Amino acid sequence: MKIAVCIKRVPDSETRVKTAADGKSLDDAGVKFILNPYDEFAVEEALQRKEKAGAGEVVVLALGGPAGQETIRTALAMGADRGILLQTDAVPPDAFVTAQAIAAELKAGGPWDLVFFGKMAIDDYNGAVGPMVAELLDLPCVTAVSHLAIEGATVTADREIEGAVEVVRCALPAVLTTDKGINEPRYPALKGIMAAKKKPLDVKAVALAAGVIEVLEMTPPPARKEGKIVGEGATAVPELVRLLREEAKVL
Amino acid sequence: MKPSRHQAPLPLDRLILEAGTAGAGDTMELDVCIVGGGPAGLACAIELARLGKADGTELAIGVLEKAEALGEHNLSGAVVNPRALRELFPDLTDADFPFRRPVDHEAVYLLTSGSQIRLPTPPTMQNHGNYVASICEIVRWLGTKAEALGVNVFTGFPAASLLVDGRTVTGVRTQASGLDRDGKPTSSYSAPNDLSARVTALAEGTRGTLSQAYLQWQGVGSENPQIFALGVKEIWETRKPLDRIIHTLGWPLPADAFGGSFCYPLEPNLVALGIVVGLDYSDAALDIHVLLQRLKLHPLFREYLDGGELVEWGAKTIPEGGYYALPARRSGEGVVILGDAAGFVDVPSLKGIHYALQSGIYAARAIFQALKAGAPTAERLAAYDRMVDGSYIEKDLKKTRNMRLAFKDGFYVGGVKAGLMTLTGGKLLGGKIAVHADADTERTITPSVATPGAPRGSDRLVVSKVDAVFKSGNSTRDTIPSHLIVGTDITKEVADFYSHVCPAGVYEQVDGHLRVNAPNCVDCKATDVLGPRWTPREGGSGPKYKRM
Amino acid sequence: MTTILAVCEQRDGVLRKVSSEVVTGARRIADALGAEVEALVLGSAPASGSDLLGSFGADRVVTLTADGFGAYAPEGYAKAVAERAKGAAVVVCAATAQGKDLAPRIAARLGTGLAADVTEVTAEGGALVAVRPVYAGKALLRVKLTGQPAVLSLRPNVFTPVQRPKAGAAQTVAVPLSAGRVTVKEIKAAEAGALDVAEAPIVISGGRGLKEPANFKILEDLAHAFGGRAAVGASRAVVDAGWRPHADQVGQTGKTVSPTLYVAVGISGAIQHLAGMRTSKVIVAINKDKDAPIFKVADYGLVGDLFEIVPALTAAVKSLA
Repeated sequence: MKIAVCIKRVPDSETRVKTAADGKSLDDAGVKFILNPYDEFAVEEALQRKEKAGAGEVVVLALGGPAGQETIRTALAMGADRGILLQTDAVPPDAFVTAQAIAAELKAGGPWDLVFFGKMAIDDYNGAVGPMVAELLDLPCVTAVSHLAIEGATVTADREIEGAVEVVRCALPAVLTTDKGINEPRYPALKGIMAAKKKPLDVKAVALAAGVIEVLEMTPPPARKEGKIVGEGATAVPELVRLLREEAKVL
Repeated sequence: MKPSRHQAPLPLDRLILEAGTAGAGDTMELDVCIVGGGPAGLACAIELARLGKADGTELAIGVLEKAEALGEHNLSGAVVNPRALRELFPDLTDADFPFRRPVDHEAVYLLTSGSQIRLPTPPTMQNHGNYVASICEIVRWLGTKAEALGVNVFTGFPAASLLVDGRTVTGVRTQASGLDRDGKPTSSYSAPNDLSARVTALAEGTRGTLSQAYLQWQGVGSENPQIFALGVKEIWETRKPLDRIIHTLGWPLPADAFGGSFCYPLEPNLVALGIVVGLDYSDAALDIHVLLQRLKLHPLFREYLDGGELVEWGAKTIPEGGYYALPARRSGEGVVILGDAAGFVDVPSLKGIHYALQSGIYAARAIFQALKAGAPTAERLAAYDRMVDGSYIEKDLKKTRNMRLAFKDGFYVGGVKAGLMTLTGGKLLGGKIAVHADADTERTITPSVATPGAPRGSDRLVVSKVDAVFKSGNSTRDTIPSHLIVGTDITKEVADFYSHVCPAGVYEQVDGHLRVNAPNCVDCKATDVLGPRWTPREGGSGPKYKRM
Repeated sequence: MTTILAVCEQRDGVLRKVSSEVVTGARRIADALGAEVEALVLGSAPASGSDLLGSFGADRVVTLTADGFGAYAPEGYAKAVAERAKGAAVVVCAATAQGKDLAPRIAARLGTGLAADVTEVTAEGGALVAVRPVYAGKALLRVKLTGQPAVLSLRPNVFTPVQRPKAGAAQTVAVPLSAGRVTVKEIKAAEAGALDVAEAPIVISGGRGLKEPANFKILEDLAHAFGGRAAVGASRAVVDAGWRPHADQVGQTGKTVSPTLYVAVGISGAIQHLAGMRTSKVIVAINKDKDAPIFKVADYGLVGDLFEIVPALTAAVKSLA
C-alpha cells in the first residue's frame, strides 16, 4: 500500500498568542511547536493501514520552514518510512496555494492508494488543504473521518455532522482527512526515535504562487464585555430571566 | 510533629532491579545512558560526544528526559556564571550563549512588612560578570548542540529503576505509560523499556530518586544529611521596567526560616521573581507559595507588578547542604552522579547551574577514559570524583561550607555567624556544623498562632494554587495513577502540614483525611523531602515550563 | 448585475435554519457591492422552507436538482455550485459540517482560495475583507479576498438572520450531474438519551458548592426545564471526587465547550475550568461567594444560596415554555 500523509508544524495549543511586530503573524518567541494533533491521527491511520496490508510505504509530506524537518522526524519516529519537506519561508495564508504545491509533489511521487490529512490545523483552522488537494488530483475525498473501514477497494467512513453520524462510501484511491476518534496515535518508541534519524528526508525548495488571501492584520479578540451581578438570592431570578430573554436573547 | 515519623521509606525493591528482571517491552543498548536532560546531563553528553568524535570512536549516547520536551521540567532563578559554558564551548563567545542579559546593577534589601532597607551587597552575592538567564532556554540550546553531535535525546521517558548486576549498575528501566488510576493498562499502554549501558550517569536534578536509591543501596553516606529549600517562582510581564537584579532577606519569612527572594529581569519588562525558603522551618502551617503571594504585595515589588500579567509559575527544591552534604563518593561500578543530584549547589551565591555543567564535563572525561580502557569500573570512574575534588566546585563549596548551616540558629544569629565566616574566608567558625535532615526536624503545630494566611484572593497580584498549577503549563490527565507513596498515621495535623508544604495543591485535608490530587504535581520534590515519597510518573506529564 | 451566491443547506428535504444566516450574510455583501443575491439549494426536489429565503434578502432562490442530490453529494454539489458560480462575484457557504466539506471543493474547482469560518465581512474599495478566528479563537485575522469569485464560509450562529425582503423568485433547474464518487449511505441519528456536554446548546455545570453528589439532581431538573437542549456538566473537583463521570468534565483536562448559554453553579472559576468554557456566548454564574473568580468572566451573576436560586430558576424557565 502506498500511502502519503500530509502534516503541519503548528504552535502548541497552550501557546499564549501574541502578535509579532509585523502586526500580522504570531510572535513565535518561546513558542513550542508540535505536530498538528489532527495530523497525528492521520499518521497513525496510515501506519495501521500499511500494517494491515502487510506491505507498503508511508511517506510524510510537509510544507513550511526548515524546522519542519523536526516535525517530519516525529512522524518518522512513529514509523513512517520517509519524509519530504517542501521548504518555503512562510506558510501561505491561501490554502489553495499550499494545495497546489502539495498536489504537484504528490502527482510526481504517485500513484497513491491513500492520501491522509488531518481534518484541520489548530493554528489557522482552515481545514481546506486536504479537499483542495483531492480536487487537484481528481481523487475522491472524505473529510473529518472519525471511523474508517476499508474492504478491498471500498472505503466506508463515518463523519460527524450536527446531531448525527453520516456514513459515506467511496472507492480507493482516495484522500481522507482524519478527525478525533478514528484511532489512538502511538507514542514513538525509543527505537523508533533512533531509527528516525537515519530515514530519508528530502528537502526541496518550492516556488509558490501569490494567492488570493492577503493578511491585513492579526489582533487579539475583543475583551468580553464587563459582566454584572444581577442581584442576590432567589429574588433576583426573575430579573436574570428577563435579561437572558431580552438582552442576551438566549431564552 | 516530626515529618519523618509519617514518611514511607524509599521503595528500594522497585528502584533497584536485577538486570534481566521480567517486565520490559523493548530493550536498547547504549554505551552511556544519561538520566536527566538538564544542564549536567546535556553537558556530559556534549563533552562525551566531542571526545568520541575527536578520537574517531562512535559512542552510543542516550539522554533520558522525563518531560515531554527539553526544558519543561527545569526551573531556576537564574543568574549564571559563564565559566563552565566557556569550557564546554571554547570556540564560542559569551555573545553566543543563550543568556538574556549581563548583570549591570544589583541591590540587596532587608524587607519589613511595609518598607525596605538597602544592604551592602555581601561578597558572596557579587554578580558582576554573570548573566541573567532562563534555565529552560539554556537547556533547549544545549539540546540542539547535543543532537547536532549525534546524541540521542529521548524526551518523555522517565527512568523508574536502576538495573544492576551485583554491585554494578548496568542501565535503567523506564516508566510505563498509559495506566489508569488503578494501575491497569489502558488502550494507550506503553510498556517500560530497558536501556543497558556501560556507564549510567544520574543527572536527575534535585532530590533525584535513583540517585538516592543508589546511595542508600550502596551505603554511601555524607558528613551531614542533605537539606533542602523550596523555591516558588513566577514570571511576570510588567508595565514598569526593571533594570537591576534584586535579592531580599527578612519579611515575609518568619525569623526562624532561612531564605529570601530574588527578582531578575529577563527583559526590562519580563521579570522572574521568586522566594526560596529552607525546609527546616518550625511552623507546620508555613506555606511557601502563600509567602510568595504576600511578597508580591510589598511596595518594592508591587510597584513593578501592578498592571502586569502573570505568565508562568513553578516550583522546585534546591539542595542546600553544601560541602558537608556531598556524598562520600559520586561514582561507583558503572555509575556517576552529577549536578544537583549530587548536591553541587552553593547557597550563599545561589549558584548551581555552572557547577552542574562543570560536573557533567568532568564526568564525561572520566567516562571516556574508562570506556577507552575497556573498564567502566568504580576505580576508573573515581577519576570523576578526583576531578571535582580538585576543582573550583570543591573549593567554592568548602569556602561557604557552614554559611547556610549557621542559619539553623535563626536569622540574626545566623547572619552574624555567616558574616564572620565570609570575612575570614571560612577560617573562623570553620568546624562542621551538624544538622538534621529536614524530615527529622520537629514542627510546631500551634493553631492559636496562625501564620498569616493567604492574602485576599481578589487582589489581581495573588494567584491561588489551582490557578498557579495551570500557569505551570501542567495539563496532566486526571486519570493518571498516583505516583506518590503516602506513609502511615496521617492524622489531620499531618494532612494539614502536607497541604501547606506542597505549593501545587496536591494535598488537601478534607474532613480529617488526606486527599491526594496527584495530577497537580509539578515535581518540585518538596513532598519527597517532607511528606509522601515521589516516584516517576509517565513520561510527558507534569509542568511545561517555557522560560523558567 | 453581479451575483452573490448563497449556498444553502437542506436535510431530508427541509431547509436548515443556517441557510437564513447564509442569505443574511450574502445580502450584507450584496448591499455593499451593489449586487444581487441568488440563494442556491441543492436537492432532489425544492426543499420546504425555501420560500422564506426571499424575506432574508434573496433576489432569487434557485434549486438545483438531480437524482443523486437528495442526500449530500460532495462531488455532485461541488460541480453544480462551481458551474453556477461562473460569473458570480462571491460564493458564500455556511461553515457547518457540510459546508466545511463543500466550500474548499468549490474553491478548488474555481481555482481560487477560501476564507473559512468567517465572523465578519465587509467590502473595502470593492474587495471583500473578512475576519476569522484563528489559534482556537485566541486571535482574529483580518484578510482581504482578491480572487474572483471570492469564496467564503460563515461561522454558524454569528450572522443573525435579518429580515430584508426581496423578490425571492423561485426557480428549479435540473442539472445533468450524478452524485459523484463519494456517496452518503446512511445517516445514523445520535443516540437517544443524555446530550453530550460538548454538543448541547445549553450547559449547566456544577462544582463543589453542590456539597453532595445527590444534589446534582437540582441541576438535572434545571436542564430538563430547557426541554432536551441542555446537558449537565461538572468541574474537575467533583469529577475527581467521583460524583460525576469524566465525560461530563468541563475544563482544560476535560472537555472544551462553547454553548449559547453556560450556567456555572457552585463553581469558583479556576483558570483550568475557564479554559474549557470561556468562549460560551453567554455565561451565568451562581455562587455564594461574591469574590469568586467566576464572576469576573460571567455576563450575569447571582450571589446567594444555589439551593434556593436554582429551583427558582427552574420554575421560571418552566413557566416560559
